[in-house]
Amino acid sequence: MSKFKKSQSLGIAKETRQYDLPLNKGAGGYFLRILIALMTFLAILALAASFTLSAMTERWTSGLEDKASIEIPAEDDSGVITSPEKLEGLAKDIHKFLINHPAIESAEIMSQQEIAKLVAPWMGEDIEFDNIPLPSIISVSFRKNVTFDKDALARRLKDIAPQARLDTHESWLRDVLRFTGALNFSALLVTLVIGITTIVAVGGAVQSRMAIYREELELLHLMGASDNYISKQLQRYIFIISIQGAGIGVAVGGVTLIIIGFLAGRMDISLIPDFSLNPGQILALLLLAPLIAFLGMFTARYTVLRALALMP
Amino acid sequence: MIKFEHVGLRYGVGPEVLSDVNFSLDPGSFHFLSGPSGAGKTSLMSLLYLGRYPTRGIMSMFGQNIGQMSRQELKNIRQRIGVVFQDFRLLNHMSAFDNIALPLRIAGQPEHEIKANVDELMEWVGLGDHRHMLPNTMSGGQQQRVAIARAVITRPRLLLADEPTGNLDDEIGYRLMNLFDQLNRMGTTVIIASHNTMLMEKFSHHSRLILDRGRVELITPKKTIKQKLEGIF
Repeated sequence: MSKFKKSQSLGIAKETRQYDLPLNKGAGGYFLRILIALMTFLAILALAASFTLSAMTERWTSGLEDKASIEIPAEDDSGVITSPEKLEGLAKDIHKFLINHPAIESAEIMSQQEIAKLVAPWMGEDIEFDNIPLPSIISVSFRKNVTFDKDALARRLKDIAPQARLDTHESWLRDVLRFTGALNFSALLVTLVIGITTIVAVGGAVQSRMAIYREELELLHLMGASDNYISKQLQRYIFIISIQGAGIGVAVGGVTLIIIGFLAGRMDISLIPDFSLNPGQILALLLLAPLIAFLGMFTARYTVLRALALMP
Repeated sequence: MIKFEHVGLRYGVGPEVLSDVNFSLDPGSFHFLSGPSGAGKTSLMSLLYLGRYPTRGIMSMFGQNIGQMSRQELKNIRQRIGVVFQDFRLLNHMSAFDNIALPLRIAGQPEHEIKANVDELMEWVGLGDHRHMLPNTMSGGQQQRVAIARAVITRPRLLLADEPTGNLDDEIGYRLMNLFDQLNRMGTTVIIASHNTMLMEKFSHHSRLILDRGRVELITPKKTIKQKLEGIF
């Protein structure tokens, strides 16, 4: 490529020749850059949401697979309140049975204070628990990789204490996983839609450029330029626009995530994990810019080659 | 070199603009293509520079039937053809230098060779001081010289020129015709579409393709050409 010194003289080539087609003319590139920046920004937010949901699911489910709790309600099925002493006795009987069970690693009867702490979010911190019949709860850890019949265990517990209930968290976990899975799927769907929109936008931009510069394209073709030679020019043009747009999108998205992380940290909601991304996730978000640029470039190549194939 | 056998061309579903065209041109020959307006000169030229395919008949170039060529082969053939378009078709966002260098870049020639070749040719066509000028700021004659330089820079095997001296003064026009002549002597087949009877007379040792009502007649003897043209114009 020949390089010319910059000159202000009218009619003199001012810049280094970049393309054989006048691709840098007009505002089309500017709008495409903004569109790609916005798409990337949205993709960053969607992906970050997906990562956070995964972390949340991980936090909620971690360790629960091998745990269960056994509740002995203070009130039996007929509505009779069991005395705290009797309840304690039943809990001890169950505990004794559990610690001798081959599938159970440990079992621990929760103290009344611990139970009071557990129900505090629903009942309030200041309430007096002395007159409220609290259930007995036994926390159980199963041995890993040991299979056993949970229904049989539940039946055996009922033999000891008819109102005892075995809660293996399975149904609760299933609901949580279904819910977060749906949210995660939505986030990924949004990312996919953004990807498709980018492809359509780039394809449209390339087609409109080709329509505008049809004569110039035809000239290159008649001079014996290969389809590859012509498409490389548009590929390079789209790649530069895409990487610039996506770079802006990633930068703005990154700043937005930092602000969200800062605000979420100040909220101190124990149910939601800290809004922080691990290095792998940060790398994935950063790689979004080159990914979008390559996506744009290959879309441009496909569009150009398809259009050139129609030329004689 | 070039062989047309019963070639016809029509645009869409319209009437044939070229019908049953038959002629054969030898390698290294020089021809003027003439005929009245609307006779189909531009259409014939577009077939020759492979801007269109015939709608019927067989068209062979460089010994190959173009209807049976692959896309790659057609690209190679196009690189062996230099074209001077009537409307020049220069790229206005590029300097005169880059316009002339374009076919060499497409052919993949190294940049240092391109610079030497283009500089030399620009000097020769009198544009040595206009290397960095943009075409749309040049005069018609200057643009025409850029277009001619671009067509001949690769020393094509076939040179097609549509009214190449139309905007030039006699001296430059004569000089460029000599350039075409020189290229022809080096083996390039030259076809020049022209209305300029004076120019054709000056170079009357070349044969003529006379196009009339979509048909082509190849005429070589000087006297017959004169008689034929008198009959048409």
